[in-house]
Amino acid sequence: MRELIISELTQAVQDLARGFAHYLPRLIVMLILAFVGWLIAYLFKIILRSILRLIKFDRLSENAGASQLLTKAALPSATEMLSRFVFWVTWLGFVLLGISVLGILGLQEQITRFFLFLPHLFVSVLILFFGMLAAGFAARAALLAAVNANVPSPRLLSLAVRSIIMVFVLSIVFEELGLAEQTMLVAFGIAFGALMLGLAIAFGIGGKDLARRFLEEKLVRTKKEQDEDELSPL
Amino acid sequence: MEDGNFLTDDFLRQLINVGEVDILVGLPTHNNAKTVGSVVHTIRTGILRSFPRERAVIINADGGSRDGTPELITGVSIDDVRRGSGIYALRTLHAISTKYASTPQSEVAMRTILAAAELLRAKACIVMSPESESITPEWVTNLVRPVYSDSFDLVSPTYHRHKFDGLLMTNLLYPMVRALYGVKIREAYMPEFGFSGRLGSQFLGQNRWNDGIGENGTELRLTLAAVTGGFRICQSFLGKKDPVERRAADLVPTLRHSVGVLFSALESDFNAWSTVSGSQEVPAFGTDPELALDPLRVNRKRLRDMFVRGVSELESVFQTILAPSTLGELKRIAGLSEEEFRYPAELWVRTVYEFAAAFQKSVISRDHIIQALAPLFRGRVYTFVVENRNGSANDVANNIESLCLEFERLKPYLLEIWKSKQ
Amino acid sequence: MNSTTKDALWYKDAIIYQVHVRTFSDSNGDGIGDFLGLEKKLDYLQELGVNAMWLMPFFPSPLRDDGYDIADYDSVHPSYGTLEDFRKVLDSAHQRGIRVIIEMVLNHTSDQHPWFQEARISQENPRRDWYVWSDADTQFKDTRIIFLDTEKSNWAWDPASKSFYWHRFFSHQPDLNYDNPAVREHMWNVMKFWLEMGVDGFRLDAVPYLIEREGTNCENLPETHAIIKELRRRLDEQFPGRMLLAEANQWPADLRPYFGDSDEFHMAFHFPLMPRMFMGLKLEDRKPITEILQQTPEIPPSCQWSLFLRNHDELTLEMVTDIERDYMYDMYAQDRTMRLNLGIRRRLAPLLNNDRRRIELMNAMLMSLPGTPIIYYGDEIAMGDNISLGDRNGVRTPMQWTGGWNAGFSSAEPEKLYAPLILDPVYGYPAVNVAAQRESEHSLFHWMQRIIAVRKSSAVFGRGSIEFLYPANHRILAYLRRLGNESVLMVNNLSSAAQAVELDLRRYKGNVLIEMFGNNLFPRVGELPYLLTLGPYQSYWFRLRRV
Repeated sequence: MRELIISELTQAVQDLARGFAHYLPRLIVMLILAFVGWLIAYLFKIILRSILRLIKFDRLSENAGASQLLTKAALPSATEMLSRFVFWVTWLGFVLLGISVLGILGLQEQITRFFLFLPHLFVSVLILFFGMLAAGFAARAALLAAVNANVPSPRLLSLAVRSIIMVFVLSIVFEELGLAEQTMLVAFGIAFGALMLGLAIAFGIGGKDLARRFLEEKLVRTKKEQDEDELSPL
Repeated sequence: MEDGNFLTDDFLRQLINVGEVDILVGLPTHNNAKTVGSVVHTIRTGILRSFPRERAVIINADGGSRDGTPELITGVSIDDVRRGSGIYALRTLHAISTKYASTPQSEVAMRTILAAAELLRAKACIVMSPESESITPEWVTNLVRPVYSDSFDLVSPTYHRHKFDGLLMTNLLYPMVRALYGVKIREAYMPEFGFSGRLGSQFLGQNRWNDGIGENGTELRLTLAAVTGGFRICQSFLGKKDPVERRAADLVPTLRHSVGVLFSALESDFNAWSTVSGSQEVPAFGTDPELALDPLRVNRKRLRDMFVRGVSELESVFQTILAPSTLGELKRIAGLSEEEFRYPAELWVRTVYEFAAAFQKSVISRDHIIQALAPLFRGRVYTFVVENRNGSANDVANNIESLCLEFERLKPYLLEIWKSKQ
Repeated sequence: MNSTTKDALWYKDAIIYQVHVRTFSDSNGDGIGDFLGLEKKLDYLQELGVNAMWLMPFFPSPLRDDGYDIADYDSVHPSYGTLEDFRKVLDSAHQRGIRVIIEMVLNHTSDQHPWFQEARISQENPRRDWYVWSDADTQFKDTRIIFLDTEKSNWAWDPASKSFYWHRFFSHQPDLNYDNPAVREHMWNVMKFWLEMGVDGFRLDAVPYLIEREGTNCENLPETHAIIKELRRRLDEQFPGRMLLAEANQWPADLRPYFGDSDEFHMAFHFPLMPRMFMGLKLEDRKPITEILQQTPEIPPSCQWSLFLRNHDELTLEMVTDIERDYMYDMYAQDRTMRLNLGIRRRLAPLLNNDRRRIELMNAMLMSLPGTPIIYYGDEIAMGDNISLGDRNGVRTPMQWTGGWNAGFSSAEPEKLYAPLILDPVYGYPAVNVAAQRESEHSLFHWMQRIIAVRKSSAVFGRGSIEFLYPANHRILAYLRRLGNESVLMVNNLSSAAQAVELDLRRYKGNVLIEMFGNNLFPRVGELPYLLTLGPYQSYWFRLRRV
């Protein structure tokens, strides 16, 4: 009995040891992967951060107004955001790789899907970022041009420009991510159409005066007015 | 347009024919057929009268005229084939032309002229405006002589002007250049000027051509290069400045190639200007320029309206450029009634300096920074016009002088915000 | 008349050597050149290649104006020999194919001339009317004074007859009165005397001034032209084939009437061209040269311009504008002692800083521009001058034949020479002389020989038409000379730097260019501009040929 117990125990211990011996290398490999992954991700983060600083990425994002958005949301700078994002994605990738080494069934498929999804995620983030840059830039350009041309409602114009561009950007982003494609398409179609209609009506009503003034200036502009206006700056 | 082949073969052939010259007259043009004929005639008269023995050439850099401007210029060459001008010429006076592009770009025109000057080893060069209606032969003499006879490297012009003419010059460029670079050059951005071959060559070699923002405004960069390079600078009185240019350009492009160029130069010239304090007169030739006082109708209401609207509409932009106190002050004066409204000198100087610092840091697109200055400048113009409406020439001059001193006084403030992070 | 041909237009093909008997060679050791000395040196002229010789005045004279103050028209100055000696020179020259042109001073005589001595005896003397007299010095006040540096008025007081006499030049040169038929008749007889002896032509001195009229500037008057027409008519009738050369320092347009309708002068000096050649060279710009030649009117086909670089007088700057004159003074005569009247008293070589390239270029233009070239003695070996000698004597020093005793000019004691020899290290006779240059193949003398030979190889130079090409490079003076089927192209670089030039020769498409000195071929002319490169002061002569 005692012997049986001992043998069973030995068996169990041996099994455990065997099991452990079987899993230990994988575990070690996983831990190593996680650790190395962390190292590599950290390295990536540092390299990316210095590259972005070197190319004055913050300034770029500032120009686009993206920084303002981030500041408002109490988030760190665009460079920091992007570096952290890369760090986490890279590390996560390694950790998942480690887990897959453990050979847990069912998890493999999810991990594979994660890796397939990664490029899309990247591209989407980039599109979103540059889209916001472009939208901010165009909006401000429109605002300044409108103010200097003495056109009515510059801010409305600016907002419209930003909205149009953002609608476009978001539709592209969602399509890239493949999220509820049909729904999104219809939703954005409706939103976009509504915006356009609104703008058309707004311009139609507001532009009546503008058009009249334009025509007046072109056709019946008097010399007196022009002389009064102009002072040579140089 | 690589350095090696910047000039066309045809132009090079013409330059070979001209050969070495003593005096080179550059004439950048674009559809100036109305005025260019008389301008060239006057230039030629000036050369023949004052420099009959010198080898001279008129070089036209044309930005794609379609009205026959280049032909008008080359048509007045004095050589042995065409005669009968009434003026006796000892030598052949070439007038050659090259078309550098189909659209006018003063930078390319200037570069063409400078490259030609270097190839022809010109001792004295002048650039003349093809639009000038009040030009006289003495202008040529007054611009050439300081270089040719007195070894100056840059001859900056002075003019008789109306007191409300050139307000960007009197309210920003002159005081700022004076305060930062320490030299009292009245017309740092000038349609007519003279320079030595030495300065021309150095500028040609060192200037960053085609760097975008300064597509125009090469003249201002030349002036600043002369100042920072330690070249000998003088001012020479020409005459009455043309009222033609009153119809000139939209404010924003003008700001771009004057203030924009100055702001971007500040970045590269930091070591030069940051150590300067006070300002020096530059040697002057000819009579002192006078301010004309005859009444001039100005649409003041529009100026103020555009200022007020600018301040309210562009608040988000100004937040990135201006210090909160400055913006607050601007909002306050924008709210004042027409009678009370005043954009004081100190506030204007702070505004300009903060814009310059923001430009250097590129807090937003540099071009947007320049555009945002336009409504504020209009507000300053309004104040200047109101303050000097009934002022004598002396009063106006004093006003400008005190603005200059304000720019000089606040220079440490610029240095402070220049160095501060964000 | 042996080897000189009967061609009536001989003067168009001539290359004239200007020489003063006194300066050339002394045969009798008295320190003054003479006819027999000159005769011995005719071989030299033949060797050089010239085919005409212009002898400066050799008549009896007090020599106060280098012989232009004649005291006897029918004889020769005893210092130079005898009339017989002159005949020998004439014959020897003709045997060598060298024509002889002598001076004839019609306008005035010396105040030592017996005619004037007679005229001043009394107001009633029959010779009195041979000169121009006045009681006051106010007549003809619109007339300019030529010798500004020495004369204050054109009138001089004669204490003997107590009245003023008229003189356009020095006060010791009273003007003859050509309103007097007796004067006109007598002067023709003088010319006839020399023509009968065999001279081939006259250089008529100071022709614009023969007649005076109140209210005019007394130059180029119609009456003066009438007198010349009469002389020419008699010459053609009695001595066909002889030539009259006018010395009239005038603008080309004013000179044109002196050719008349081929019934006045055969030739006239082109005075305004010469200073402009020097000016063009200094400016490195062809403009002055092309401009003056454009202003030069057409002349009758039998007439000819006479061209020169330097002569026995100062480089005259009368025919230039004030700006041009100041320029010329500053460039060529900064030292004020080099200036005389309105001109520069220097020889060719010193004017050009003894720069061989410039001397050659100027001679190349002289030999190829339309006209008959005149070489001033000594300039063919780049002789220098002596500006310390007064007046124009600095350019009239003895010819430098050898590096030996008195430069081989005379066997006299050096102090007995009529003028001192040039002794400075650059131009002195030990350095610059005929013998040395004969020895050296590269010498200017040999170069002059070659260019004269090339010029004589074609009549196109003397008789052809001229057409300027105007390449955009203004430092290049290019022209085509044409006669019949023959075309030659001259390209001169006026600049001290090498130049590239593109010539529009499309009309000559298909021709090849043959460089005339070496007879070597240059590329065929095509549709494109003909590209040539020229070294500093280089000139090319090309013959255009279809092959």
